[in-house]
Amino acid sequence: MLASLDHVTKRYVKADGVLDLTLGFPAGEVVGVLGLNGSGKSTLLKLIAGLLTPTDGTVRVFGERPRQSRSKLVFLGEQDALWNWMTPKDAEKFMTGVYEDFDAKRFQELLEVLDVPRRKTKAMSKGERGRLRLAMSLSRDSKLYLLDEPLAGIDLISREKILSSLVREWHTDETILLSTHEVAEAEGLFERVLLMKAGRVALDAKAEGLRDEGKSVVDAFREVLA
Amino acid sequence: MTNTDRWTLDMDAGPIYVQIGVRVKEQLARGDLVPGEKLPSARDLAALLSVNPNTVAHAYERLEADGVIETKRGLGTFIREDAPVAGTKKETLDAAARRFVNDTRRLGVSLEEAVSALKEVWNAGQS
Repeated sequence: MLASLDHVTKRYVKADGVLDLTLGFPAGEVVGVLGLNGSGKSTLLKLIAGLLTPTDGTVRVFGERPRQSRSKLVFLGEQDALWNWMTPKDAEKFMTGVYEDFDAKRFQELLEVLDVPRRKTKAMSKGERGRLRLAMSLSRDSKLYLLDEPLAGIDLISREKILSSLVREWHTDETILLSTHEVAEAEGLFERVLLMKAGRVALDAKAEGLRDEGKSVVDAFREVLA
Repeated sequence: MTNTDRWTLDMDAGPIYVQIGVRVKEQLARGDLVPGEKLPSARDLAALLSVNPNTVAHAYERLEADGVIETKRGLGTFIREDAPVAGTKKETLDAAARRFVNDTRRLGVSLEEAVSALKEVWNAGQS
């Protein structure tokens, strides 16, 4: 397993994050982490990324504690932490300085593919910033990509560009966990879906298996939430 | 017809790999794809459809097993020269007939009524 959780609970002061999760993620799986806001999707990804410490239980990534693997995994958070003065060129310098696995050539290619303008982020639309952040993340060479809501709050064309870049950039030995509530748009990408509800996994299934039963992932999502 | 229209997928209509197989056979039956023609790579088709490349690869494996396509190492995936065009045409026609029958049966009409409606619409479309 590339990443695993063993009876992991994360409690916040005011709310439950996730409750008693036991999950494994093998190499080469594209997993959709689906659920409503507050269902625990972000908490799950942040626990694997080592950005949160479990209240109970153990998380393992590449056989280590997530904190030790942080330089080896890619986490794209919901927070847009780009500085306003940054241009894609600045972003490249920054990433090259911070991450050994950052591939500047790949970054330039992705800027083209994702149609990212070469101006300061201050002058970019939300979709353009989202595409720049994805280009930064996908230009790192990792086996584990944790993408938290990369499709949220951006325009349809940007979402399509992001999805098709993911399809193109994904190598079959890499694992992607992508959280989204744009289930219908993204569902074709997922081999496996985790439907989260109130901090627990309400359904963990193969997407094609659901379709074989005549259900789309969207249908399963509705059933679980009903 | 745009490129995506030929490949329309319905997430409610069963496994995607099956649907991709059906779309290839339909295109072959209609002559939109011809024997010897090159298919998009699994990666390209996956990107076009926003689906997992493994799903397209799975569809291609099935089509290869069915004798519809072949993979030439280093060259890509092609419709076989001896692809069963007549067979896929029959298969596609049968599927269309099944859809028509399912829809009309639900109306509770007789076969004669259904066939006469079919002929009427068919002839109207001819003119």
